[in-house]
Amino acid sequence: MAERPIDSERHSLLAVFDLIRTGRAATRLELELASGLGRAVVTDRLATLTQLGLIEEGERRPSMGGRAPRTVRLRADAGGILVANLDRSTLDVGLADLTGRVLFEHHEPADLAAGPEPLLARLHALFDWVLEQQDQQRALWGIGIGVPGAVETPSGPAMTLERLTFAPSWASYPAVEALVARHRAPVWVRSSIQMATMGEFGPPDPARPRDVLFVELGEEISAGIVSEGRLHRGAQGIAGQIGHIPVGEGSDLVCHCGNRGCLETLAASEAVRRAAEAAARDGRSRRLAEAVARGTITVPEIGLAAQLGDAAAAQILARCGRLIGTTLAALTNALNPSSIVLGGELTQTGDILLAAVREAVYRNSHPLATRDLAIVRSTMGRSAALAGAALIAVDELFGPDMLAAWVGRGTPMLHPDLPALIAEAQARLREPAAAAPARPPAPDDRHAAPSRPGRQR
Amino acid sequence: MSERASGVSGAPEADRPAAILGLGPHGERPASPDRLRLGEAEAATARAAGFTVAVVLHTRQSDWARQHLAGIVATLGRFAVTVLEVVDCAFDAGAQVRALERLVRRRPDAIISLPVSNSGVAEAHRQVSAAGIHLILIDNSPSALRAGTDYACLVSADNFGLGQIGARLLAPCVPHEGMVGVVSYNLDFFVAAQREIAFRKWMADQRPDIRLHTVKFREMEQVGPMVGCCLDDHPGLAGLFVIWDTPAIAVLAELRARGRSLPVTTIDLGTEIAVALAQGDLVRGVGAQQPYDQGVTVATATVATLLGLEVPAWIALPALEVTRERVVSVYQSVWHAPAPETLIRAALG
Repeated sequence: MAERPIDSERHSLLAVFDLIRTGRAATRLELELASGLGRAVVTDRLATLTQLGLIEEGERRPSMGGRAPRTVRLRADAGGILVANLDRSTLDVGLADLTGRVLFEHHEPADLAAGPEPLLARLHALFDWVLEQQDQQRALWGIGIGVPGAVETPSGPAMTLERLTFAPSWASYPAVEALVARHRAPVWVRSSIQMATMGEFGPPDPARPRDVLFVELGEEISAGIVSEGRLHRGAQGIAGQIGHIPVGEGSDLVCHCGNRGCLETLAASEAVRRAAEAAARDGRSRRLAEAVARGTITVPEIGLAAQLGDAAAAQILARCGRLIGTTLAALTNALNPSSIVLGGELTQTGDILLAAVREAVYRNSHPLATRDLAIVRSTMGRSAALAGAALIAVDELFGPDMLAAWVGRGTPMLHPDLPALIAEAQARLREPAAAAPARPPAPDDRHAAPSRPGRQR
Repeated sequence: MSERASGVSGAPEADRPAAILGLGPHGERPASPDRLRLGEAEAATARAAGFTVAVVLHTRQSDWARQHLAGIVATLGRFAVTVLEVVDCAFDAGAQVRALERLVRRRPDAIISLPVSNSGVAEAHRQVSAAGIHLILIDNSPSALRAGTDYACLVSADNFGLGQIGARLLAPCVPHEGMVGVVSYNLDFFVAAQREIAFRKWMADQRPDIRLHTVKFREMEQVGPMVGCCLDDHPGLAGLFVIWDTPAIAVLAELRARGRSLPVTTIDLGTEIAVALAQGDLVRGVGAQQPYDQGVTVATATVATLLGLEVPAWIALPALEVTRERVVSVYQSVWHAPAPETLIRAALG
């Protein structure tokens, strides 16, 4: 599509489109009021956006006396977003539309310790399959990926080849380059917890709280922070590592970060299982002993035992909840969130742990900080990270500078900087490997020998 | 990772895989059914409460559905839970929506449902929970629904494990660099997607030389003609994997009508497929579910939910690998019934 000569119109075009995309205005009159533009200008910009294929007519609103007004909305299926999330033991993939709604998702076990090569080959295979499944072929507009560690906050342009520094084997491996070159689309990477936080926070909505703390309570304990409606990433992109806050219990357990007494070593899933096994050994719990006798005890079993009245199981979960709640109280004082969302398998153990968290937060926080504080449980599970990856990719695609560069062409696939990004990715893929000999598989190479496992975080 | 699937009744030890291989619709770790145990005190509480439940199935006409329902009803009976009604939706989303709307007005304590589609029935299922009625799902979870809010739990087979069995049993029958047809369902069903993805993953990992050609059907009537076209277009086709047994029966009919002998693997040990497996000419292996035991698990999870206990979001039963040699014994253990005479005769040659 030839680019429309719209330099003079660009500002108003972007303003109208942003109002429609974020749901702040849906009729011509609402657009006039919200943008301050005249009727003729709004009508022209709507015609332009329709011609570019970015918006479509929606339903009619009830009549207020005259003709029932017709709404307009973003064309959600104009493009698609591939999303993925990776942690130590799971790979999640999905496909989303341009509103960030996940249309399809799949989750499977994966071993991060196997290294980047087999995981990237698997990601390629799943992405290819997901794209084949589409009833209506959407052009791929972008890719959002969550990874199990910090991603440095970029300072450059909206489309870059972000480096994955969460593990040495990935730092020397051009995974992002391989995805960009294969799909000819920009890739945005964030930590899994930040993706999940954005997924829990959801798409833009003026009615929703703007300050949210999302806390993952599972094999690891970490948090994502949304402040005034924006994800807070921190200087190095690692904001939210609350599992490494010392909880001062004089523990001898050394955390994988090298410190002692980290919250994670005392209150994450492994600590709960350890405590349950000890209670089973010491004869404090018949139920837990039976569970241990059947095999490795699981967190859901400990939760069920507590719900059925097992005192030892209840005590373990209550202590774990108090430790977590005391830490969250400090964060509540520091950040003053309007809601704390708790996710992860420890939250699926019933009410005892959650009640202990709430009690500790309310007891140890400044009264004003808890006046309207809601402490709720996530209902999204691992889907949250995929939803967040989609929303982050959408936010990047429709960010002011990015949008200004491609809106006149109707698709970010015609963004003037994209060919250079793809060329750079292809050039890096041709370079000899800097460290390990691992290279991304060719498109037809569907599996590869695993590289050497390493300790990951 | 996944936990050991020990203590599942009704299946010989040799037929059990070591683990559940898949994850739930929202990435949940699997919970094994034998970890969901209710003691005598809980049973007494349930019996005293006099709970009522309605069951909404995709069909009541298949062996799988009949056995599944038998497991549900027998177990609910042990807890003195009354089954008010069992609805057969005949695979029709509209019928399921109407049934759920009607049942919400009837107000049972819980509804057990197998969603027959994804987005088309999501809102009707959401309205069940919104009305304060506990919802327990079988096999499929419409993607818009959330565990713990919109439904209490999902119980299904390990469909990922079933898909891998389909690949593992077909691969030895396929020559190097042969082509295999994957006959799959063209809807984003959790069950079908898991099976196909797992089949492809096993082949990619273990037999990357095998090329895969996909045939996607929407209606059962399409299966025979579509597979026929596939055989015409790819005369060198060396094998077929079919996503479940009903379309597999149509595939076998198409192959026999053409006089073609191709190795086939599929999922679900219906009688017709079991007989074909015993005959040994076309069907080379089956991944079997345990419908009766799954029904028992569904009912137990329902009672636990009614008692106010938090049950795991995804409870999975292991997949069973069925070959010609063991088809009779696995049939008996899966169906809790003697094998039919046709199967016995075919197995004994």
